[in-house]
Amino acid sequence: MELSLPGNLFRLLNDTGIKSLDQNPLRSLGIIILTALVLVAVFAPYLAPHDPKQTSIPYQSPSSEHLLGTNDLGQDVFSELIYGARVSLTIGFLSGIISIVIGVTVGIFAGYFRGWAEELLMGTTDVFLLIPSLPLMIILAAYLNPSMWNIIVVVGLLCWCSTARLVHSRVLQVREMQFIESTRALGYSDLYIIIRHVLVNTKDIIYAKFSLAVASAMLSEASLSFLGLGDPLNISWGEMIHFAFSRGGFANDMWWWYLPPGLMICVTLLAFIMLTIEGRKDSKILELI
Amino acid sequence: MSQAEGKTRFFAGKVLRYGITLVIILTINFAIPRAMPGDPMINLLGDEAARIDNQILGELRAQYGLDRPIQDQYIEYMLGAGRLDFGYSIHKNLKVTDLIYDRLFWTLVLIFPSIAIGGLLALVLGAIAGFRHGSKVDRLLTGASILMYSCPSFLFAMIIVTIFSFHLGWFPLGNISSGRTQGFAYLLDIGWHLFLPVAILATFEAAYIFLIVRNSITQIMGEYFIFVAKAKGLSARVIELRHVMRNVLPQFISIMALNFGFMVSGALIIEIVFSLNGMGTLIYDAVMSRDYPVLQGAFVFLTIFVLAANFLADVLYGITDPRIGDSMSTGKMT
Repeated sequence: MELSLPGNLFRLLNDTGIKSLDQNPLRSLGIIILTALVLVAVFAPYLAPHDPKQTSIPYQSPSSEHLLGTNDLGQDVFSELIYGARVSLTIGFLSGIISIVIGVTVGIFAGYFRGWAEELLMGTTDVFLLIPSLPLMIILAAYLNPSMWNIIVVVGLLCWCSTARLVHSRVLQVREMQFIESTRALGYSDLYIIIRHVLVNTKDIIYAKFSLAVASAMLSEASLSFLGLGDPLNISWGEMIHFAFSRGGFANDMWWWYLPPGLMICVTLLAFIMLTIEGRKDSKILELI
Repeated sequence: MSQAEGKTRFFAGKVLRYGITLVIILTINFAIPRAMPGDPMINLLGDEAARIDNQILGELRAQYGLDRPIQDQYIEYMLGAGRLDFGYSIHKNLKVTDLIYDRLFWTLVLIFPSIAIGGLLALVLGAIAGFRHGSKVDRLLTGASILMYSCPSFLFAMIIVTIFSFHLGWFPLGNISSGRTQGFAYLLDIGWHLFLPVAILATFEAAYIFLIVRNSITQIMGEYFIFVAKAKGLSARVIELRHVMRNVLPQFISIMALNFGFMVSGALIIEIVFSLNGMGTLIYDAVMSRDYPVLQGAFVFLTIFVLAANFLADVLYGITDPRIGDSMSTGKMT
């Protein structure tokens, strides 16, 4: 499959740090799964056999009409699952982007400028790392209106600490390299050096960390939604489990209601983690999930 | 700088850092209801406040001090926090602190055994995988722990309950105890009820810490002093136990501490699935009824607990690691 990719697409993939796909079956598998999920999310209206909002007979078991049965309102669980991919992936991606932008900015500035900036930025990071994130997210999400966008912001704003630490420690190494010193001696501005040289040399961990940031954002979103803080208009996978749990699906052993969304979360997270696995140094980066 | 003086400085730095963290957290907690969109009165009291008529609302506002300048409110709040006073729960008409004391105990009963078992498991399995880096056992364990990473805790708990409680009927579906029993039988009963939750939490703890133990063992195995130890002809067992594990321990302690917050989050979720009467169910109910004072009090208590655990671990770290306070080797330790 990978070998048949057109030449420049392959080069493009290489540029994004996703290297040597043919030597890394796990990573290719991750890409395939994610591509499939994104396609499902994009083409949800064509794939879903029913409108997920349309109600019929509640609590049906799986049948050929309703592949995964119906929920308490008689909505088709399978269609809900397909539409849920949109919500879960969107929240994961956008929160991941917010957290990676904050984390990378904090990490690079702290690592590059050192001195009081480092003290202040990394001190703040350490404080945030100490706060148990779920209770804080619960409070923030409870005060805000239950909407997808608020969840994106809350999760994004609280998940950047490990990225900042990781980037910081890499930048500390990069800034001592000879060529950075030469560039500085040539009189280039700090901002130019950061963007053209430091950032370029940290990109591999940034890409890997982004993948994990999306994964952990999806996990946080799932936990928040499970607690009933999700967006009632955009049902995510986590929220489906919440409804199954709070409206009798779990107590009545209707596994077709809560297990599929749960497995979708697992598979998606696994795919994101697979993207970051490198043959030899595997899972080193996972320490800072 | 002498050794003792260095240690003192290390601990003083830690005390200062945790003090600042505590103040920041209390300040965040103070700021959230006042900074959020909407009337802070409603934010503090919940939606019911919107239905009370204006005069009573004004009186309540005065009672809560929301009509006074913000700095006065802040001082008042901090003094209250110093006495661990976080106001009253709206729905249960009880002091938030009393509510939490009741529940926190059960959460701790759930968390401590899980951390101890999970940590021990991680240390043993991490050592097995780390010493046999690249072997089949290593790959199997690493794969299993990554699988646990990608599984939401509530899903794992729900699957376990479905299998072991619904279908096999080996364990109860939930609750702390079945009541009616006393003395030793009561303890046994609690142990039976807590077996699954503790096992699940411990598995998560083990999965998270396993990778770190494994990686740091692999790293230490490549160091020069291990090479020298091998060259001296020491047996593999002596090297593994005395040289490698000794060096893994400080990192192990600090990662256990950092993971405390994660464990608290996990415990909250597990409690909800098992309907155990702890902080998790308290928060869940508070979320459902938008009982904000309870949410805020719970957040502060949990954070203080996590901070205390981290502080303890830091002290332990300072005692066990002889390099701390030694000016020759503390480049960036504080």
